Parts: sequence; C-alpha cells; structure tokens
Amino acid sequence: MTAVAHQSDTIAIHGAQLSGLSRRGFLGVAGTMAAVLAIKGGPAAAAAGSAAPSATTAAGWIEIRADNTVLLRTGKCDFGQSSIYTAYRQIVAEELCVPLAAMTEVVSGDTDRTPDGGGTFGLLRNAQNLRKVAALLREAALELASRRLGVARAALSVRDGILSGGGKAITYGELVRGEALQLTIPLSGDLTMPLGLRVEANPPLKPVKDYTIIGQPVPNPSLPPKIAGETVWVGDVKLPGMLHARVIHPETLGSTLIEPGRLDRVAFPGAQLVRLGHLLAVASPDEWEAVQAAQAVAAGTRWSDWQGLPDQADLPDQIRRSVAAEAAPPREGRANAGDPAQVRGAREHRARYAMPFQKHAPISPMVSLADYRPDGSVTLHTHSQNPQHLRRMIALMLGTGEDRVVVRTYPGAGHYGRSNGGSAGSEDEAVLLSRALGRPVRVQWMRHDDMQWSTQSSAMVADIRIALGGDGRISAYEATHSGPGMQDDRLIGAVLAGLPTIAPPSATTTYGFQSSLLAITDTWIYGTGAPLREIGKGCRHIGQQQSPHGAGLRNHSMRTPLQFQQNCPREIAITEAALLAGKDPLQFRLDHVPDPRFQALLIRLRDESGWTSRPSPAPGARATGQRVMRGQGLALMLRDNGYWACAAMVAVTPATGEVKVERITIVADVGIVINPLQLRRQIQAGCLMGVSQALFEEVPFDRGKVTATDWASYPILTMADMPELKVVIADNPGVTTYGQGSESANALAAPAIAGAVLDATGKPVRRIPLRPDLVLAALRA
Amino acid sequence: MAQLRVNGSERTVTAADETPLLYVLRGELGVMTPKFGCGLAQCGACSVLVDGEEVRACVTPVGSLAGKEVTTVDGLPARWARQRGLSPAPALHPVQQAWIDEQVPQCGICQFGMMIKVTELLEANPRPTDADIKQALTTSGPSPHLCRCGSYAAILEGAHRAARLMAEGAAG
Repeated sequence: MTAVAHQSDTIAIHGAQLSGLSRRGFLGVAGTMAAVLAIKGGPAAAAAGSAAPSATTAAGWIEIRADNTVLLRTGKCDFGQSSIYTAYRQIVAEELCVPLAAMTEVVSGDTDRTPDGGGTFGLLRNAQNLRKVAALLREAALELASRRLGVARAALSVRDGILSGGGKAITYGELVRGEALQLTIPLSGDLTMPLGLRVEANPPLKPVKDYTIIGQPVPNPSLPPKIAGETVWVGDVKLPGMLHARVIHPETLGSTLIEPGRLDRVAFPGAQLVRLGHLLAVASPDEWEAVQAAQAVAAGTRWSDWQGLPDQADLPDQIRRSVAAEAAPPREGRANAGDPAQVRGAREHRARYAMPFQKHAPISPMVSLADYRPDGSVTLHTHSQNPQHLRRMIALMLGTGEDRVVVRTYPGAGHYGRSNGGSAGSEDEAVLLSRALGRPVRVQWMRHDDMQWSTQSSAMVADIRIALGGDGRISAYEATHSGPGMQDDRLIGAVLAGLPTIAPPSATTTYGFQSSLLAITDTWIYGTGAPLREIGKGCRHIGQQQSPHGAGLRNHSMRTPLQFQQNCPREIAITEAALLAGKDPLQFRLDHVPDPRFQALLIRLRDESGWTSRPSPAPGARATGQRVMRGQGLALMLRDNGYWACAAMVAVTPATGEVKVERITIVADVGIVINPLQLRRQIQAGCLMGVSQALFEEVPFDRGKVTATDWASYPILTMADMPELKVVIADNPGVTTYGQGSESANALAAPAIAGAVLDATGKPVRRIPLRPDLVLAALRA
Repeated sequence: MAQLRVNGSERTVTAADETPLLYVLRGELGVMTPKFGCGLAQCGACSVLVDGEEVRACVTPVGSLAGKEVTTVDGLPARWARQRGLSPAPALHPVQQAWIDEQVPQCGICQFGMMIKVTELLEANPRPTDADIKQALTTSGPSPHLCRCGSYAAILEGAHRAARLMAEGAAG
C-alpha cells in the first residue's frame, strides 16, 4: 500500500528515521505511527516491511493509533509479577506523555508478534529499550506537530496526549489519522541471546522530576479476567483434534531404554505408545486414559541401571574435587584488590559453607501443546521466559529453519527463571510427539516429571577467610565459591531422543549462561580499604560426564541465580566476623559499608525491625535444651541498583533443631519506584518464597536420580509457617535509576535467619536449609 | 455415567465412574478454573466445593458425586446470588472481588483453589481471625493449600477483605 514516491521523505529523530510522511488523505480514518526495527543481518531485518512475513516478523514495539490508544509489544512475558502490564505501561505512558488509560493493549512473548526477544528477567533494566522507543515516538510526534501546526518545535510540549504550543494543539491520534508512519530505530544485539535486542538511539528522556504516572499504585489489569475465570492459561488451550500425552522418562538420569512396557489395548483402546530414543510417551484423545496407560506402561518398562551421581552427603567435597580436577580458569570478583593471603589478622574467621540444589517447583507442572503440520512448520503453545531462544532450539532439534517455528505463550504457573533460556520442560516433547503422531499433541508433565526431570537451582560451596585487625575491622577477605555452572538450556526431550541440541555446558560454550565456569555475581559492598579476593571455580554439572545422555543434575537460574548461593555464605560469614569482633552485627556492617544508601538502609532497618543493638550471641544463648531461644539476624544485598536489607527474628528449640521464623522486616531502596503497590506484593511474596528456601528446601537425590517426586518429598512453606512480615520501601527520589523488584527479597531470608540462629544459640549454621536435622547437627558440632 | 449439578446446571457425564472429577470438568465439561497441580491431593490447585465442602477434584471419582452439587470459581457469583437472593447475579463473588481489590495473586495458578477454600471458610465463619484463615488453608483439608510464589500475606488480607464485603452484602 505504501507509495514508493513518498518513502524517500524521512526525518531523522535522534538516530531513528521517521518515514511514511506526506500520505495524508490517501487512506481512510485509520492510521498509526509504529516504531519498527532495523538491524543489519539479524532476523529482525524482516520486520521493517518485508513483503513475505516470516515467523520473526513483528510490527514493532509501540503503536500509536488514531483513536489515541497505544499498543505495546514485548518479547518478555508475565510470570506473575505483572511488570509488563503495570510497570511497562507506566514507563511508556510517562515518556509519551499520554494518560495511562491510553495504554490499552500489551502483546507479549509470541515469536511472530513481538519484536525484541531475549529472556524475561531484569525487566526494569530491559525496560530501557521501551523507554527509549517511547521517547523517540514522542520526539517524532513533536516534529510532526511542528510541521502540521506551523509552530516552532521549541515552542511545543506534550501533556496528557495533547501536543500544544503557540496557541494551537493537536492530539497524537489526530497526527496519525490517515497516516502509515514508521519510525525506524537502529538496534544491536541478537534476538535469541539472553539480553535480546538493544535500542541504539539516545533520545532525550523525560526528567524524573516531571513524572506523574511512574510511582502510582497501578493495579494489574491481567487479574480481573484471571479471577473471573476468563483467562486461557497454557494448560487450558485446546487444539482441534489434539491428543493428550504423558511422557515416560528414564528410571534414572543415566538409564537407557532396554524394553518398553506393553500397552494393553483392551484396557486402553484409545491409547498409542510412541518411542523416541530413550523417551517413551503414551497418547490418547482422552486425558485420563493417557494418564492411566502411561502409568501401566511405565511399570512394565525396563531401563538400564545407572549410579553416576555422588552420595548426597559427599556433595560439597565432590564439588571441590570436581573444580580441582577440571581446573578451569577461576573467575575473579570485580572488586578484587591486593593480596589478602599475605594479611594475618589479630583474629581470623575461617569456615566452609554449603548451599543445596533447590527446585523451582511451579505449582502446576509444565504443559505444552504443539501442532506440527505436514509442510514441516510447527506452532508451539507454551509458557516461556524466552520464546525466541526456544524457537531457535526447536528448529535446531528438527533440523529446519527458524522461520518454520512459531512459539506462542500463555499465562502459566510461575517458574522463577527456569525458562529464561527458553525451555522449562515438555515443549520439545510436544513437538516431537506431534510430528510422530500427525496430530496436535498436548504434553502435561506429571508432578514427578517436574520434580525429577526439570532443572534446579545449582548447589555451591564457599570457603571463606576473614581477617580482623586489632581495631576489630576487616583487614582481609578471601572467598572461593565453587560449583557447577549456572545453567543448562538444552531441551531434555531432544537429549533423550538423541536429536541435535545446543552444546552442553562447558568452559568454552558460548550461548548465554550455558557454561561450566562460575562467575562472581554477588557485589562486594563492604569497602575498599582491605585486601579482597573473591574467586569462582566452576565445573560441569553433577553427573553430566557420567550419564550416557550427557545430562545429570542440570542447573538453571532461579530468582537471584548464583548471587543467592554466594551472598548467603558471605552474609553468614560477616555475621560470624562481627561475633568474633564482639560487635553488634548491624553496627559491624554499618562500620564497613561506605555507600550512604546502605548506611541509610541499615539505620532504617534498625528502627523498623525492633533490632536490639548488642553483640551476638544473645545473653543466655544456649545450644542445648528444650527451652526456646530467641535471636535476631540480618543480611544485605546489592542487585541491579537495588539496595536491600532484611532482619529476621527467630525462635529456636535447641533440643529438636526446630527454627520458627517469627518476624521478618525488609527495607528496600530501589531508587525510582515504578509501582509501589505491585512492588510491595512482589517483595512480600518473594520474601516468603525465600523463607521457604531457607527452612525447607533441598533436592534429595540418590546415586541415580532426584528422589523427590511430590510435595511430601519436596516440602515448601505453608501459610501456617508464615512469619509476621513488614515491608518498608524507602523512598529515594534523589536516585534516577530504576532498581529491580522482588528477586532480592527471595535471597535475603536465608542468611538473616542463619544469623538469628547463631544469635539465639551461639552456634553457626553454615548449611542451608535450616531444617531441624541439619540445625541439630550444627548445634551439636 | 453420572448425573451431577455443576455450577447450577444438570450435567450428564459419559466418563467412567472412577475418572477423577478434575479430568471430567476440564476435559468433558469445559470447566477450566480448577487447575492440575499434583494429582495427589497435596496442593489444592484443583479444589472445588461439593455440596459446600472443599474437596480435591484430582482424586475424587466422578461416580461418587451423583446427585451432588459441584461449584467451581466460575460458579461462585451465581452461588452468592442464590444465597443472598440477588438478581441478576453479580459478575463476581465477594471473594473474587476481594482478590482483585487486594491484588492477591502473583502467578495466580493456585488462587482458584485458595478462593474456593476461603469461600468454604467464610460461609461457615463470617468473621475469621488470622488463625482461622491459616488453619483453613493448612490443616483443615487433605493437605495445605500451597502457593509457590509466596502470596500468603496477600491471601490473608484478601480473606479479611472478602469477609468485610460479604458482611456488607456487596459484590462486584
């Protein structure tokens, strides 16, 4: 429809190009101004007006329509924190200077309908793309308005969707009515890499002091349809003619298939058995028949035995042996300075810490649907934090072009990072089964599949030495964090079926976070005076090299990946150092943090939490007996420009090792608060998930497999265990950055609770979770 | 083949009597708010009311429900209207309205079961304490109602607001 003659008329807007001008009157009343993307050589090149739409085509980030409504598209998905429906709409409305109500539509996470790719994490950091695009559109609209109104650009301003100046005014809608304007924006990056695409333009951004929409407690518009039962969740999708499938995974992580069990066609007349290498599946038009038939087949299936995992009790030492044997180059902490090994302290704290494997444990196990068509194209319906990388991996598995694969996403159970590299499980299996059966197939993992065959948050160990000078201050800090690499994004169904996948984690893998190296991700916050060395020593995933499938206990990021596993031992060690110095652990931190934001945060925490200023342990602390002992502990974290502090008050029964968390106070200074209502709910929830991780969660395994199969064998926090919870969002209007939301709240509970147990009993607990048997062992050590 | 009432309608079910109610609701009857969580009565994501009492649809054979009344979240507004003689029925039950007012869910997959359980509680105990609510959602049924996102603090506030809305006779 675009007349070629008019395309040459373009205006430069802060590095972007506005085209489609001079077409006024050619069309009817409809019209838009859309931000489109331009990247040389990348798959998104097709976005800028290709005649043949491909799976990668998307119209762009933001569309302003003639009725003054605005649509935004994002490759990020909602995992329950609502940021794409609340914060993203607020950020765009703020930069465009339109009312929030104008932001009527958010299209998210579909590979054929959204532009930017990358993983769903760090949402406010990634919002800088949308913020810039919105600012570019506003600047373009001001240029257009200047021409249309005959008013100098400098005399114009925008407010509530109206561009005005010199006694004249026009709305966005009037500007775009009858037009097909395109603002082409330069990009860098890669659609399928974790950080996706990046806007390479630097328009002027609205001054923070002029914000009217950011900072408002905007409700989540996706809730009313969910609560009314109108929302189609991924598990609710029904495709015409679809079959329900249940997969049968190997007996252990390294078992190979000897002989499939028999499918009883009399008992299960509608069911079919499919073998894909070392993966079995049963499919039926009737879901309950598929469940029962799969159980029956699984019971009769013979697998080889495999015992390639270490004894769970030996895991910390196994990790130390593995990093020594693999001898990958250690990764250095960013703040490392001097040589702490040369420093001898007046007093020294030396200890070893252990963090367990933990499950993401979504309340509903993964479910995906695929429709593989005779022409070799496939549409996959799922719940993913990184649909573009999932699409790429599905194409790789099928040996086909990425343009043959579309991934559509839906609401689903939160899984806290498990799919930020694309897959959380079941997606590839649905595709392979649809191809094998010639019908759309829905694969619902059962609870045991999700517990035993999904990835998990990685185990890690830390060896920490803190030297104290004669003044009781830290004179040297040394920490070695050792563990398997952060994540393995391979499609596990493809692995078991023997089909192509991305490379397994190693010291040289290049995709995203797929690595056997271990970075130091916890930011050092305790000052620059003393020599400091933090190193990360990585190894391959546990069992990875032993399993014939090349996949053992696969790791994946969860909430504050690696940082939790490094911050928790560090914060417990700092509390222990304070005890050694005879100082109040809060004051000890206050004496060491140079950043005034942390200083203010600690003082606020002391006031808000009812903290008693005194050295640990508490007067009368005991590690034996039936009498309940009480204690206080705290922890700090700096993450993505967010400053976090947490205090825990606990009651410990030494005779049983039982820890009851009575009260948690979290104080957060995240800089600009986009939405205090949603932030508060995110912090409350993240904190309680963190209490769950702190008290209950450790993935149990034997020599062959994860032995947790359900909620009895992998218990999580219940409402009865909920502490009193106080959340303080420290207003800090002087800071002009957006800090991250709830993730840090998860990580703070464990070290704060461990510090409180030390305070209550005088005994350090250096292993998570603080489960009665493990606490008891620590109290008796 | 069983006859049962689902959200006020008489439904004839062709599934075998031993089929769990959850598969009948979601597969045969198209009632999608009860969610599959564990299939083991351990989490509460599939909870429904049977004659006003919360049960786990994932382990309840449909044949055991002949002649009984099944209510899911979809049927809560009509249930409220019938109890209070409201016509037409409001769009939302007060528990649903409270869940929106308090912005209770994070991902929300567990909340259908949570709302069912809180409805059961408030029908019997219109002014529950914190302890009553915690007891209802942990020890009163076959298992605790689990929320992985950790929305328990919001649920507590939602339940208290729902109690106030029900006392006021208000609904959405």
